[in-house]
Amino acid sequence: MSLPEFKLQRPHSIDEAIEYLAKYAGDVRVIAGGTDLIPSMRQKLFEPKYVLDVRGISELRGVHAQPDGGVMIGASTTLSAVEKSEFLRQNYPVLTEAARTVASPVLRNMGTIGGNICLDTRCLWYNQSLAWRKGCGFCIKKDGDLCHVAPGGTKCWAVFSADTPPALLCLNAEIEIAGPAGTRRVGLAGFYTGLGDNYRKLQANELVTRVFLPKSSAGMRGVYRKLRIRGSIDYPLAGVAIAIRRSNGHIADAQIAMTAVNPSPMLVKGAGEMLVGRAIDETLAESAGDLAARIAKPLTTSALTPEYRREMIRVFTKRALLEAAKN
Amino acid sequence: MKSRALLDRAAEGGCPHVRLQMSDFSIIGKATAMVDAAEKTTGTGKYTDDLALPGMLVGKILHSPYPHARIKSIDTRRAERLDGVVAVAVGKDAPNPFGILPVGHDEHALALDKVRYVGDNVACVAAVSESIAEQALELIDVDYEVLPSYFDPEESMKAEADLIHENKPHNIEKDYHHVFGDPEKGFAEADQICEARFLANEVTHAAMEPHSTLASFELDPHTGNLGRLTVWSSTQVPYYLQHKLSLVLEMPMSQIRVIKPLVGGGFGGKSEVIPLEIIAAIAARKAKAPVKITYTREEVFWAHRGRPRTIIDLKTGVKNDGRITAVKARVVQDGGAYCSYGVVTILYSGALLGALYDIPNIQYDGYRVLTNKPACGAMRGHGTVNVRFAFESQLDELAQKIGMDPAEIRQRNLLQPPCITVNGLRVQSYGLPECIEKIVERSGWRERKGKLPQGHGLGIACSHYVSGAANSIIRSDMPHSTVNIKIDRDGGVVVYTGASEIGQGSDTMTAQVAAEALGCSLSRVRVVAADTDLTPIDIGSYSSRVTFMAGNATLRAATEVKKLIAAAAAKKMNCAPEEVIFRDDLVCKPGTHASEQAAPAQDPRGLDGRERPSPHGTENSATSVSGRVEGQILRGSLQQKRKEEGPKDAMTFEEAVVAAIDFHGALTGTGSYAPPQQARGGKHKGAGVGPSPAYSYSAQVAEVSVDEETGEVTVHKVWAAHDCGRALNPVAVEGQIIGSVWMGMGQALTEEMIWKDGMLMNPGLLEYRSPASVESPEIEPIIVESIDPEGPFGAKECSEGSLAATIPAIANAIYDAVGIRLHESPFTPERVLAALRAKKNSKPLNLTEGVDPTQPDRFREHGGALWFKGKGPRRHELDPARSEAPAGGAD
Repeated sequence: MSLPEFKLQRPHSIDEAIEYLAKYAGDVRVIAGGTDLIPSMRQKLFEPKYVLDVRGISELRGVHAQPDGGVMIGASTTLSAVEKSEFLRQNYPVLTEAARTVASPVLRNMGTIGGNICLDTRCLWYNQSLAWRKGCGFCIKKDGDLCHVAPGGTKCWAVFSADTPPALLCLNAEIEIAGPAGTRRVGLAGFYTGLGDNYRKLQANELVTRVFLPKSSAGMRGVYRKLRIRGSIDYPLAGVAIAIRRSNGHIADAQIAMTAVNPSPMLVKGAGEMLVGRAIDETLAESAGDLAARIAKPLTTSALTPEYRREMIRVFTKRALLEAAKN
Repeated sequence: MKSRALLDRAAEGGCPHVRLQMSDFSIIGKATAMVDAAEKTTGTGKYTDDLALPGMLVGKILHSPYPHARIKSIDTRRAERLDGVVAVAVGKDAPNPFGILPVGHDEHALALDKVRYVGDNVACVAAVSESIAEQALELIDVDYEVLPSYFDPEESMKAEADLIHENKPHNIEKDYHHVFGDPEKGFAEADQICEARFLANEVTHAAMEPHSTLASFELDPHTGNLGRLTVWSSTQVPYYLQHKLSLVLEMPMSQIRVIKPLVGGGFGGKSEVIPLEIIAAIAARKAKAPVKITYTREEVFWAHRGRPRTIIDLKTGVKNDGRITAVKARVVQDGGAYCSYGVVTILYSGALLGALYDIPNIQYDGYRVLTNKPACGAMRGHGTVNVRFAFESQLDELAQKIGMDPAEIRQRNLLQPPCITVNGLRVQSYGLPECIEKIVERSGWRERKGKLPQGHGLGIACSHYVSGAANSIIRSDMPHSTVNIKIDRDGGVVVYTGASEIGQGSDTMTAQVAAEALGCSLSRVRVVAADTDLTPIDIGSYSSRVTFMAGNATLRAATEVKKLIAAAAAKKMNCAPEEVIFRDDLVCKPGTHASEQAAPAQDPRGLDGRERPSPHGTENSATSVSGRVEGQILRGSLQQKRKEEGPKDAMTFEEAVVAAIDFHGALTGTGSYAPPQQARGGKHKGAGVGPSPAYSYSAQVAEVSVDEETGEVTVHKVWAAHDCGRALNPVAVEGQIIGSVWMGMGQALTEEMIWKDGMLMNPGLLEYRSPASVESPEIEPIIVESIDPEGPFGAKECSEGSLAATIPAIANAIYDAVGIRLHESPFTPERVLAALRAKKNSKPLNLTEGVDPTQPDRFREHGGALWFKGKGPRRHELDPARSEAPAGGAD
């Protein structure tokens, strides 16, 4: 499968990148590691006239501890750099663990944290070659107007399949978005729409530039559990991240987030209320698992049956909590 | 792991066989690097897709979007008008049918009137670039009439109309019904009987290198007409390819040259003629320019030829003493849309019920069924694997019923070779008893079985495979392998073999056998392989035949040349030709070779040929020519001449070669191999498949753990003993054992082709999940050497036989760990969990569409995993794939 023809632009500053985005708006894709975009372009899911390579923008790279105690991570910092950052491991261990599970070492050397946050939603009926999609019939997400996953519906259910966003959600991450009108900072939870096709709130002329983790989340214990068939390479088929803070043996603060079972990564609502003030035991962990499983809505977008994936959200949430209570 | 196994063996002081090797052989039996290792590891080696010719075009194939449809018309005009497109080929450009089996010529390179699976080949564009060729595909207008299609073999067998092939009633490609002994009587005598249905889902080879072919015609400089055709292709069978090209292109075979460059794995997926190999030639003919086609990974999945989904209804009876009294198997294979190797596959499934254990009564009913999916074919362990999974699982169940250890029940049913089995298979060397002993001992079976913590278990299983088929698929008495050897004046040995190196070590084996037989160093031997212009015919690298057959042919060719050298050398040394010893680059009289003396009299460096003198007696010759004049100073050429003329005790290999060439003229030899008549099986219909000159044997123990909350199975270690006759290259044998176990583990746990209405849902290596290195368990390969009486130096098969044991060993270990007997592979976490839930009767979850994987009753349309329960894709009105009339078409 050939790569469609495009013109590559390599800006050296954020401003330059924004200029290009404004100029080519609508017919441009941003590339950093390329691990998501390049296969999709070969499958003719994207055929942009321009591709903007942001790897030359040095201000987008690096893990920078902030004076206030939080941290700023440049969007084109590679996942292996995130995984290997000692500062992040000390202060935000759930992010380290989630980054470590992404794909394989080679792909983590290329893939970036910004790319992981912006990862296109995936579906077995969508991530296929043009010839395959023609044979099957096009779907809502690309070139068609029906859904193979939920026939008769008009909503796209392509599933959000990145590993680091649930960890970032647990840590109350914010992201900085640059655009022609300047920059804005939004909570990561508000970045996703919950739709499979228009899955993120990012204008065509905007760029995700930075990730911020607040001081208040530093030091939270965290665990990420990922369902996959192989121990490497695979996207998550279900993923659970938790972050907790304890005082006197009781939970003082807790967040649970899920990925790969909905069109967006999501925090489990009510988890804090259920957990805060209590000590973690098997029963509590099981209740939390039930709560998470109720919110998960896996469909036949991925391998393994939806029922199984939902069940694993339950088991993994329970296990993650018990694991966090141990260390 | 490999080196540790070697060290272990060294530490034990070697088994008797190993000691024998050390003294008897100087080349074989030693871990030898592959002769093409440097090319491959440095990236300088050339695979087909690395090749290019001046003016070469890129070929791209248009595939059918429908599983079953009649082609009403094809209009290629718009595509042809696209700038950069040189030619568009369609079915009528080469309408002759072909197929790998003489009984299965049911394929066309490009569809003539019908397409039979999503991915079937419709047209081919030859263009100056890949992207232009892809654009042109979009401009070919094909008008289809969609026909009802068949995806479930049991449904397909009921078909009365809209048959996939008009000459195959009920869509049955072939069925066989065999009865050996008296099965009914056998079951009547049994104390315990088990009967169950097993399902093995479809898997594919997933070789690293996608198929690739480059075809080029010579042009007559005067007329511009097309002349000879040269095809470079990633194939296991260059001579079959030459033959099928000749049929389809209507050219004599002598005008077609097939060359096999490096091949990046085949596993059976390149063991027959794959459509692109012929399409490239058709396109090159039409374009009058070289054309290269390399499949995308998705196209590799469509070309497929993998292991079919198989339904096995199996019934086995045993006595309380463990003896098997009878076996009855009904096997249905979901063969896809074309015959491919299907007739052979369904026969192997039955025939290889025999030759592993002593089974007195066998009934076999096999059905190879056509469905509208890519054709299944030969895959590592061809035909035996799925039935072996069922049989070894059921044997475990029976052992439990009669209260016998699973290792012991296997030992109670051993053959007593030499013998002919009830279904006509001749068994001579039989290392299975030693294989079982070894794994039982190494795995601590007796101490640990049944005593591991909850969730951990051990399982045992055995398997076997042919060392090549005794009857070739082309039904001819011609030799299966022929090898030529030529030796030049400087002692360089060139071996010409048609055998195809596909990564398994064929070229290295050839060089080793030639060097061992000629007593020369390995570095003297160059192997020229798999080029139909240069090398004599060999039927190819499949059914694990190369070491046995091409190895024997090489040995015979080398022996013939050796006789010529011996005759000349004997004259020089004043001895009888049959007394002459060839070893370590020396040719000598008996009693003079260092290896025969108690204490070597000379510096061994002089013997191993590294400081070899030149044949014409320059400065070094004095020190080693006779092997006993070390330090002597020779004065004058006359003395030198006298010395050379006088009788000698030993000569260097070069000297002997020069003497032989002077004596005989050219120094060449030919050897060929055809299996002996006694090994060619019984007389019943279908008896041709199954017989082999020798069988390899494997026994394995797998140690697994099962997570009872998630259903995930982890394989911790596999002990795999394999009887390969003799290990010519132990490191290669271990590599093949490890590879087989790993590939078997993939089929056992993760690999599965998932279908939805004829669409393959996972046509890529991301969603078709072969295990990654992180899942690789520790594998302890154990080589057992039974020294086959007819194999080259006693060697037989080592590349396929180990695969089949891995799947039931894991299944049996899962049973040992958590008490569930899985009857459907692969054992994905959801299947394991569903079975655990069913067993505990707790909180039933519809994980596998209500089907208990311990009792699968029916074949489910969408593959075993049942990812897809919706109604399936309906084509949208505006979907271009649905358009009734050719779109666009603005002339």
